[in-house]
Amino acid sequence: MRDPTRTLVEPLLVLQGVTKRFDSLVALSDASLDIMPGEVHCILGENGAGKSTLCNLIFGVHVPDDGAMRFRGESYRPSGPSDALTSGIAMVHQHFSLVHDMTVVDNVILGQQSGFVKTGVWARRLERLANDYGFALDPYAKIEDLSVGERQRVEIVKCLIREPRLFLLDEPTAVLLPDEIAALLNVCRRVAESGCAVVLVTHKLAEIKKAADRVTVLRGGRVVARSDRPAEEIDALVRAMIQGDVKSLDKSAASALGVVEAGSDHAGQPAPTETPAQEAVQIDGLSVIDGQGVTRLDNFTLSIGPGEIVGVAGVEGNGQSELAAVLSGMAVSSRGRIFLGDIETTHLGPKEITAAGIGVVPEDRHTVGCVVEMSVAENMFLNRLEDFTSFGFLRRKELMQAARELMTRFDVRAVSPEVAFSALSGGNQQKAVLAREITLPKLLFLLAAQPTRGLDVGAVAAVYGHIRAACQDGAAVLLISSELDELIAVADRIVVLYRGRIMGSCAADPRERERIGAMMAGQAP
Amino acid sequence: MTDTMASVTKSLHGVLRPSVMISVAAVLAAALLGVALIFAMGVSVLDAVAAFVDGTIGTPYAVAASINRSIAFALVGIGFVIGNRANLVNVGGEGQIAMGGIAATAVALYGHVAGLPAGLPFLIPLLAAAIAGLLWASVAGVLKIKAGTNEVISTLLLSFIAVWFLYWCVQSPELLRKPMTSSATLPESLEIPDPTKLPLLTGDYSFPLHIGLPVTVIIAIIAAIVLAKTVFGLQLRAVGFNPIAASRAGISYSRMVLVSLAAAGALGGLAGGFMLLGDQYVLKDGFSSGYGFDGLVAGLLARGSVMGVIAAALLFGFLRSGGINMEMVAGVPTALVMVIQGLIVVTLAGAAFFIGGRRT
Repeated sequence: MRDPTRTLVEPLLVLQGVTKRFDSLVALSDASLDIMPGEVHCILGENGAGKSTLCNLIFGVHVPDDGAMRFRGESYRPSGPSDALTSGIAMVHQHFSLVHDMTVVDNVILGQQSGFVKTGVWARRLERLANDYGFALDPYAKIEDLSVGERQRVEIVKCLIREPRLFLLDEPTAVLLPDEIAALLNVCRRVAESGCAVVLVTHKLAEIKKAADRVTVLRGGRVVARSDRPAEEIDALVRAMIQGDVKSLDKSAASALGVVEAGSDHAGQPAPTETPAQEAVQIDGLSVIDGQGVTRLDNFTLSIGPGEIVGVAGVEGNGQSELAAVLSGMAVSSRGRIFLGDIETTHLGPKEITAAGIGVVPEDRHTVGCVVEMSVAENMFLNRLEDFTSFGFLRRKELMQAARELMTRFDVRAVSPEVAFSALSGGNQQKAVLAREITLPKLLFLLAAQPTRGLDVGAVAAVYGHIRAACQDGAAVLLISSELDELIAVADRIVVLYRGRIMGSCAADPRERERIGAMMAGQAP
Repeated sequence: MTDTMASVTKSLHGVLRPSVMISVAAVLAAALLGVALIFAMGVSVLDAVAAFVDGTIGTPYAVAASINRSIAFALVGIGFVIGNRANLVNVGGEGQIAMGGIAATAVALYGHVAGLPAGLPFLIPLLAAAIAGLLWASVAGVLKIKAGTNEVISTLLLSFIAVWFLYWCVQSPELLRKPMTSSATLPESLEIPDPTKLPLLTGDYSFPLHIGLPVTVIIAIIAAIVLAKTVFGLQLRAVGFNPIAASRAGISYSRMVLVSLAAAGALGGLAGGFMLLGDQYVLKDGFSSGYGFDGLVAGLLARGSVMGVIAAALLFGFLRSGGINMEMVAGVPTALVMVIQGLIVVTLAGAAFFIGGRRT
C-alpha cells in the first residue's frame, strides 16, 4: 500500500492507541496514527468524530487518558500548548486569537520575544516568509482592516515564523472565499514541501482531492479508514466517514460537501417555470446604518415568490447579519420597507413577525435561536408557550407530548424532551430550531441564515429536506449562506452581497460559480 | 394524587441532598469559628452561648422577635430570587424597605385610615408600602430598559437616596417628624395609631408574632409556584438565560425586567411596612437597619430557591436576635455576630463550590 520511498523515513509523530474521555463521553478511542515529515495529512470526519480532540491532544491542550505519543522518535507528553510549541508543533485554531487594533507585525511579535520590540526586524522576516510561501501580507496593516482570509494568513504566519516541524490546522477553510481556499491549500502544499508535516482537519472532500497526500478518517472517535491515495479512493472515504453509501446521500448535501459536482438539476425540485402572480415577500430599498454611521446594508431590494428559494451569497460580514436581523424583527432598518404579501412587516417586533408567518432560523443558533439551559420541549415551543397554558399555568404534559411528536417528525434525537437543550448535538439542536420555525401555524416566509453551519452530513441533508418541503408547501425561502456550494445546490437563484450591496444576481447554476466568486470578492458582474 | 405523592417523596429526598448537608456543615463550621473567636476575646464561652440561646429561643418573646426579623429578610430574599430568574441583581432592598416604611407611616398617620373597618386600617398602609417599594424599584427597571443602566448600580444608588430621604422625613416637621414641642423633640415620627398596628396572631404581647408570618408564607408559596409552574416563570428564566433568544421568540425583555424588578421592590416595600406596622410603630432614622442587605444575602445564598430563602432568612433572623442578647448580657460586641454572619456567607459560598453548579 505505502509508497516505498516513504517507508525509509521515520515518522515525525506517532500516536499509539490514544484514548480521551470527557466524563462518560469517549471523544477519541484507541486512535493510532503516524504522520510523516513533508506530507499533508488530512483528518476527515463529521462533527463530533473526534477531530478537534485529536488536534488538542497533539497540541497539548488535553492529556490523553490512555495510549502514547512519540514525536521525532522520542516519547512526547506535552503538559500544555507551550510544550507543544517548544517541541516544534504549531496550530491554527478555528477561532482566531488576534488583537484587533494592533498591526500584523505586533500581533506576530506578541508572545514571541521579550525585551525590546524590534518591529523593523520582525516586519522584514514576516515579508520574507510571506514571499517564500507565495502570499502577500502588509506587516503594518491593522488586523481590523483585514479580511477574514487575511487574518487567517496572520495566524498562519504566527505559526510559521516559529519554523515548526508539525503544523496543525483545525477546519481552516470554513470561513474562506473559494479563491482563498485554493490559496490556503497552496500554502499548505508549500509548507509540506519545505519538509514540515501539515495536518489539515476538514470535513470537505474537495479539499482532500486537491491537497492531501494521506487521509485518516475518524468516526465516533475511532479511526475507521486510512488512505495513501485519497484522490482515487474518495468514495470509500466518504462511506467510512458517514457510514453509508455516497449514492444514498441527498444530492444537494453531496454537492455541498464537494463529493460530486453540483448538478444543474436541483434534486428534483422543479424551478418555478412561470412568474408567480404575486410575490410572497417584497423587500424594498432596505438600508441599515449602524451606530457609527457606517452603512451595513445598502438599498437591498428583492422579491421572492411563493415556493421560491433565493440564496444570498457573500463573504460573512457583508451585510447578511444585518439583513437577517431586520427581517426577523431584531433590528430596525434605517430606510426601506418589507412586505409579506399585502402586509407590511417593516416595523413589527419579533412576536408580530412570528404571528405574521415568518419563520426564522438564525445564523447564531446559540445566541438567538435557543436557550441552551432550558429543556428541549421548552425550546421547541419557545415562541408559542402561551398555547400550552390554562390560567397562566403551563400544561407541561401536553407540551412534552407535542414536543415528542415534533421530535419524531423532524428526527430530533434526544433522550427525552425534558433534557437540557445543551445536551443535544449541534445537528439535533438545529433540527429542533428548524422544526419550531417551520411548523408555525401559517408559514409564508422562511428566513434561514447559515442553517447547516457546523452540521454533519446527515443533519445537512435533513435540513435541506425540510427547507424544500416548506417551499413545496408554498413558503418563500431566503437562504443566507457563506457556502457557495450549498447555495448552488439548494437555491433557485442567487444574489450576491458585497459591502452591504447586491453586487449582482444569477441563476443557481454550477456554471456561474466563478462569476459568483468574483462578485463575492467585489467585482461587478 | 400520584403527582403529589411523588413530589412529597421528592422534597423529602431533597432535604437529605448533599447540598443541604453541606450547607448545614458550613453553618456549623462558621458557628464553631465564632465560638473560637469569642474564646479568643476572653469572654466566657458558656456565658456567651447561654446569652445567645436565651436571645433566640429562650423566651416566647425572643422566638417571635426573631421570626419577625426573618420575615423582612425572607421578603427581600424572595424578591431577589424573582429578579435573579431574569438574571437581574436587585441590591436595593434597603432603599425599598425605607420607602415602604415611609409610605406606611405616612398613610397610617395622615391617611385617615384608623377609623376604617375590617382590617383596612393596617391593610391600606401595607398596600401603600408595597406600592412605594414597587415604584422605587421600577425606577431602576425603567433605567435599565431605556438606558441600559446596570441594575446593580441603580438599585444600590437608589437605596442611598431612599435612606437619606428617610432622614429628611424624620428631620423635617413639614414631612413626618412629630410636632416640635421642645428642643428635645426626637427626630422621629409620631407613634402610629393602634388600629394601624398589625394584629398579633396570639393577641399576646409576650409572644408578638404578627400577621406578617402567614402573609409571608403565602407569598413564598405563590412565588415558588409562579416561578416553577407558570409560563411567566418560564419566560422569566428564558430572559435570564438568553435575552436575545427570548426576545426573538416574542418574549418581551422590557416587560420581564420591569415586572420582576417591580415585584422585588413591592416585596421590599412590604417588608418595610411589616417592620414599621408590626414592630417599630415609630419611623426613625436608620429604621431599615441593614435588613435590606441581610435579605439580599439570604437571596444570594439560596441560589434561586424560595425554600432556601426561607431557611437563610430564619438563620439570619435568629442569629441577629441572639447577637443582640449576647452583647447586652455577655458583653460580646454585635460586631462579632456580623463576623459570624460573614463567616457563614463565606463558608456557604465555599460549600457551593463543592456542590457545583447544582441549584438548591
